[in-house]
Amino acid sequence: MSDAQTLAVEVKAIEAVTPLIKHFTLAAIDGGALPAFSGGSHIVVVMKGATRVHRNPYSLLSSPRELDTYEIGVRRMEESRGGSHYMHDAVKVGSRIEIAHPVNLFALDKIARKHLLMAGGVGITPFMAMLEDLHGGAVPYELHYSVRAPEHAAFLPRLEAREAGRVRMYYDSENQAIDFEGLLSRQPLGTHVYVCGPAAMINRVIATAQHCGWSDSHIHSEQFSAPPVGDAFDVFLARSGLKVHVPHDQSLMESIEAAGVEVPYLCRGGVCGFCLTKVLELDGELVHNDHYLSEAERAKGKHIMPCVSRARCRHLVLDL
Amino acid sequence: MLITGIKSKPVYAPLHADARGRYHLMLGHGAGGVALLRVLKELEETAPAALGATRVLYLPRPMIGNASASVAITPESGAADAPADPLAELEALALAELKLFASVPELLTDFRALLERSLMGTRLYVAGPESFIGLAMKIALEFNLNKDEIRAEELGSLARRVYCIHCRATAEEVRTNIVRCGGCGRWLLVRDHYSRRLAAYMGVMADAEAPGELPEIREVFV
Repeated sequence: MSDAQTLAVEVKAIEAVTPLIKHFTLAAIDGGALPAFSGGSHIVVVMKGATRVHRNPYSLLSSPRELDTYEIGVRRMEESRGGSHYMHDAVKVGSRIEIAHPVNLFALDKIARKHLLMAGGVGITPFMAMLEDLHGGAVPYELHYSVRAPEHAAFLPRLEAREAGRVRMYYDSENQAIDFEGLLSRQPLGTHVYVCGPAAMINRVIATAQHCGWSDSHIHSEQFSAPPVGDAFDVFLARSGLKVHVPHDQSLMESIEAAGVEVPYLCRGGVCGFCLTKVLELDGELVHNDHYLSEAERAKGKHIMPCVSRARCRHLVLDL
Repeated sequence: MLITGIKSKPVYAPLHADARGRYHLMLGHGAGGVALLRVLKELEETAPAALGATRVLYLPRPMIGNASASVAITPESGAADAPADPLAELEALALAELKLFASVPELLTDFRALLERSLMGTRLYVAGPESFIGLAMKIALEFNLNKDEIRAEELGSLARRVYCIHCRATAEEVRTNIVRCGGCGRWLLVRDHYSRRLAAYMGVMADAEAPGELPEIREVFV
């Protein structure tokens, strides 16, 4: 994906669904149908701010059967580098924004015998669309949805209206917590677990499922990392013959793009592996922040995911 | 050649214990009992408590008189120090269950019932002739058991189940490269093209272009 393949959409509605989450409804500018997608897909929103361009991934939460509009939920991040603040503060009803085509890196297993969905906070968004795919089907499913307090339970009225009996709420404020071990130790054969939420919750679900003997092919997670801040550094792009400065609060990919070089991407959150880039020379160390490279690949130091990863170095040359 | 180099042909490997599983379900047929015993010994060494969460369904064949009296072990099937009678040793282990069967259909019926009440965290091990593994895998697939939950070791006969792609009849215990279909009477060439869903190799008409002209019929799946 690159910006040449984006779609222009207009913001049709904005609703604050919790103190931190805004719900955006987007429609094609010509009023036509948007590209089809399946539950669990995300889009990348291209935000052209005053000083820099942000490109953030957001899960689609609307029904895959209704393509007149796309809906996304955006949580205002405390340590935002600007993307979520831009969506919350600068985008208004009637604003036109660019989005990349939907991509699904968090798909439902089509031959599962049961689906166990676990959401934390704004991690509910991909499940909203998945539930549309599951609703009325023959395969059993249940959603366990954990939020800090009742006022933070985004989209709860919609869930209660359609999924009564299949959704269980957990409020930190009431000292309620998902019993991961209890749930994961008594699932019938052929169950798949899906988790989206804070990193600690995702890691806990994966570790508990493995502890209960689950094989990896039945465990699904999605966590888009916002590109972390870090030390500023310089990078030399061998094929383009360019030297690029990466400021402390801008990602490697954003800095390269700002210099006019396109890096292929799908998720921009360290998940999909699409932006895998060869490291040709390095004097220093790579700071891997992705969920894609294995420990062994990291140790080799031959590749980097520029969407979220950085370097602490005197000298870095990439094959771009 | 039409019958070789096909990717769908299943690949088997010697069984080893997967101690990451919480429950272990093992199916054995004839000489496959030796492989199961080897896995159970591994489990006993690495995670002794796992034996108490292990169920074994075993078909010791051929059975003559008393079930434990005779278990056929083909000479090439195991190591030189393989026990002559895996059954006696299986019975000595502190398993959750060891159940013996006299036929493949009976064993598979119990296997299906066991899968119905099994929980996530189960690992499946299958050891025996290829057609037995195929039939077990077909059922495991219906329960959405994935490759990382199933291990299989081929021990014993390579006789194939062959599906006639013309009339959809399935022939059992096929040992020859060419076989006459019991359903439609066509001469079928047995390919390596395998269907996990049907648990059978595909048989295609061998003399479609030159009726009556057949390659030499040889025993190849023994």
